[in-house]
Amino acid sequence: MKKILQKVREPRRFDFLMLGIVLLLMGIGIAMVYSATANTELPWYQTFWFKQITYFAFGWLIAFGILLTKPHFWHEFAYPAYIISLIGLVLILFVGATESHGAVRWISFGFIKIQPSEFAKIGYLLALSRYFSVKKVSLERLSSFVVPIILFIVPFLLVLKQPDLSTALVFFSITLMAFYWSGLTFAEMFLLLSPGLSVIAVLSKLAWGGLMTAVTVALWRRKLPIWLSVLILTLNIAGGFASYTVWNSLEGHQRSRIMTFIDPMQDPRGAGYQVIQSQLAIGSGGVHGKGFGEGSQTNLSFLPEEHTDFIFSVLGEQFGFLGGFVLLGLFFLLLVRTYGIAQIHSNLFVVNVCVGGSTILLFHIFVNIAMTLGIMPVTGLPLPFLSYGGSFVVTCMILVGFFMLMRVKGDDI
Amino acid sequence: MPQNLNHSTADIGEQQERNLRVFYTLSAVFFLFLILIFRLFWLQVVKYEDYFRRSEENRIRKTIVTAERGYIYDKNGQILVRNRPSYNISILPYQVDNRDSVYNRLMRVLDTNGQNVFDPALLEWAFERGKYQRFRPLRILEDATDMQVAFIEERSELFPGVVSYVESRRDYPYGTMASHALGYTGEISEQQLKDSVYIEQGYALGDRLGQKGLEKEYEHYFRGHDGVKYVEVNAYGREIGLVEEMQYEDAVAGHNIHTTLDWNLQKVAEDAVPDTVKGAVVVLNPQNGEILAMLSSPRINPNIFSLNKKALKKSWAEVALDSARPLNNRAIQGTYPPGSIFKFITAAAGLESEVIDSYTRFPKPCTGGFYFGRRYQRCWLGAGHGYTNVVSALRESCNVFFYQCGLELGMDKINDLARKYGLGRRLGVDLPGEKQGLLMDSVTYNKRFERYGWKWSRGQILNLAIGQGELVTPLQIASFFGAMAYGKGLYRPHLVKEVRSSDGELIKMYPITKISEAKLRAENQDIILHSMEEVVSGVRGTGRRAQIRGVKVGAKTGSAENPQGDKTHAWFAAVAPLESPTISVAVLLENTGSGAATAGPIAAKILQAYFSEKNDKTGTNP
Repeated sequence: MKKILQKVREPRRFDFLMLGIVLLLMGIGIAMVYSATANTELPWYQTFWFKQITYFAFGWLIAFGILLTKPHFWHEFAYPAYIISLIGLVLILFVGATESHGAVRWISFGFIKIQPSEFAKIGYLLALSRYFSVKKVSLERLSSFVVPIILFIVPFLLVLKQPDLSTALVFFSITLMAFYWSGLTFAEMFLLLSPGLSVIAVLSKLAWGGLMTAVTVALWRRKLPIWLSVLILTLNIAGGFASYTVWNSLEGHQRSRIMTFIDPMQDPRGAGYQVIQSQLAIGSGGVHGKGFGEGSQTNLSFLPEEHTDFIFSVLGEQFGFLGGFVLLGLFFLLLVRTYGIAQIHSNLFVVNVCVGGSTILLFHIFVNIAMTLGIMPVTGLPLPFLSYGGSFVVTCMILVGFFMLMRVKGDDI
Repeated sequence: MPQNLNHSTADIGEQQERNLRVFYTLSAVFFLFLILIFRLFWLQVVKYEDYFRRSEENRIRKTIVTAERGYIYDKNGQILVRNRPSYNISILPYQVDNRDSVYNRLMRVLDTNGQNVFDPALLEWAFERGKYQRFRPLRILEDATDMQVAFIEERSELFPGVVSYVESRRDYPYGTMASHALGYTGEISEQQLKDSVYIEQGYALGDRLGQKGLEKEYEHYFRGHDGVKYVEVNAYGREIGLVEEMQYEDAVAGHNIHTTLDWNLQKVAEDAVPDTVKGAVVVLNPQNGEILAMLSSPRINPNIFSLNKKALKKSWAEVALDSARPLNNRAIQGTYPPGSIFKFITAAAGLESEVIDSYTRFPKPCTGGFYFGRRYQRCWLGAGHGYTNVVSALRESCNVFFYQCGLELGMDKINDLARKYGLGRRLGVDLPGEKQGLLMDSVTYNKRFERYGWKWSRGQILNLAIGQGELVTPLQIASFFGAMAYGKGLYRPHLVKEVRSSDGELIKMYPITKISEAKLRAENQDIILHSMEEVVSGVRGTGRRAQIRGVKVGAKTGSAENPQGDKTHAWFAAVAPLESPTISVAVLLENTGSGAATAGPIAAKILQAYFSEKNDKTGTNP
């Protein structure tokens, strides 16, 4: 046993454990998609579950294709990839296909539809990883933030414009994790984020008061230059005041999503309805669940988008707490393996790609499941390896390809 | 780890830092996952009983409330198309506790003739399917009668899981009248389901939508917006009532379409053309393009598309396999040679390009025919018309005059004028499937007959100048003839005047649009109008049947030669009053001989009805 563990930990070894976890997750995903969409009269080759299998097969081709390359290639290709993905996001402004809610997220190439924001995640990850492989950030040198913020803000705004708030926040999560890995401490990150937190906290006087106290304490203990401390405090206050105006300028469906998060019953037909029904489905699953294919809530079509965003509710209803626990365990193990690559290799590009890639997965996993459990707003973020959808499968499998590649050849750069 | 053995202390420090960061990061991840686990535990273990009870009890079902489809009215507000309620009886498999007993009970339900109400095959299919699709209602009786519905509803404890749904179906109270213009609705086809245009508009399996005619053209207005409601269902799956605290979205009924059709005229036209004759009638107002009546024969009864599947299948087979092709709207899709009516185009082109004037006589008189080289081309009157000018040639429809006129003009000038009057192109009528017809010149001729090895020769002009060889639709004839008499342009023929919401609010008004400046010089216009009048009132006029007391009527007959070699197609075009025409009629009857004898009386009846209606109106208003 110990020998096996040692073998698995050893670098330059192909990570069979991760391979197994991903395959297991995919298997669960196909079963759930099948179960959620069993009410269909389509021939088998047109069903969601079969299409999902083809997406997975295609994804593995990509992942193993990446394994054949060298990390150096991705290091060189980082900025071009970033530019290309930006072009994709700009292109959408002109030739995008409109979908529901008036959002424009897809480019249609006849038989195939591409979601450029998915590939922008990869482009941004590579570019930021390369930049931070030679640079560090520090609160004392605000200029060190200029380039990363520019790298971040362009795709962020383009995605926000679609509008796709939740995907835009994926970019934000990558950036945050990169800051932490490039020199900031938790306290510094808190100070950096505090103006943003003010924007949210200002809706409640008590929360905002608590936040300002925490900021003051942190500033005092960190002993930043006076001008910087004043700047951060000012930004906090300004952020609070700006919050009202921002709130007024939000898109209708964005605001309703936030409001129904606070009080789902406000919109029992739309977002709130989904949250209520999702919790009902999960809650009624109990410890063991109702059994495969026995989910009355899902089968009665109480749940909309059950094969994409709400796939976890299907699992929760049919396999209960045990099923959910096992799934979360698998996800956690996967993240341990992928974040762990940062321990094996010292090259910062390799480290950044793996940490950032893991963060993309983490953000999707947490936000999606928290949404189905009713503790996060209803966003359109899918669950990695489980939710139905081609573009996102490709994104995830590119990341899996990176993890496999970096683990085996991370020294060779 | 062996690789790290040679590393310096700085590297080891860096390694430790990375280890630390991984540790902190994973701790944060663990913390996030802990939140999820706690929440999961809360929902599924602590609150399980509560949620389970609610999921069992909470039989709230989200149901789609289908929007009522908009109506179609005629110009006077008479309802032409409306909806009727239709009941479906279905089973909800997951609520059928004992399949066999429910099946047997259903099979024991007999109608007054002692026949099974439920089709055993369909029942078997539904119960078999229900094993896999337990939560979807499966239809076992379509378009059920009130009695049948009441019978099932009153015995709900005997038939657990058997439920009835009401839906609305299209009703055409006048049956076959104007059926081609109105069109029909039908269930969305498999082909349409694959079409992204329909998918993006939110159509799904089982939806009904306009498939032909106005129903198709204005589908987006008729459709309305489906609503959503949350209903509570009892243990037998029946709806108990609306769930109060859940908001619902009312269905928004589709918009109503107000057409330009004059139902009285339509009726006159329908009565005049028997269903055994293939043909078409178009009546329109040349001053604005409003179509007053449109008919194509043989007709179809659009009500068959609202029947249940079994009945529809039978009726559909009859209609679709009929060699008379009743599904075609001959008024806009039937293309025929225009015959002698085209002589007005040739004449007008001759006058406008000053090849002829009102006094012109061509060197060769009509001797019952005409030698072109060594070919002898006949005129319809064997005795011949002698020397004619343009007016008498039009009046008596002399071919020889127009043979020579055409030869001097050439096809380009003739076709240019024809296009101005809307021939050889789509007029843009608001119905799907309009044909554009065909104008012929050397280029199109050589292209069209390339595979036969035929080559254009000047001799073709002879036939083309008298309207044998072009293809036109009855709609084009009515438009062109009306526009030529009106003399102030060609207007887009249309059927819809305005769209109104179900509350009567004006949604859209369709403005009249001029397609082209179809005008002649004043002196030529006079000659044309005089000729049109002469056809009807002249002693030797071919259209004398269209005479109406007190109204100056212009007309032209035509006989389209039929390549199949049967009797010719009969044409008749009429327009009145010539001083300021408000009605233009085109009648086409397939294989019935000459236009004057068969098509003429039909046009006359329509004109008669139109002007007596008009006089009635003015008469009551002194």
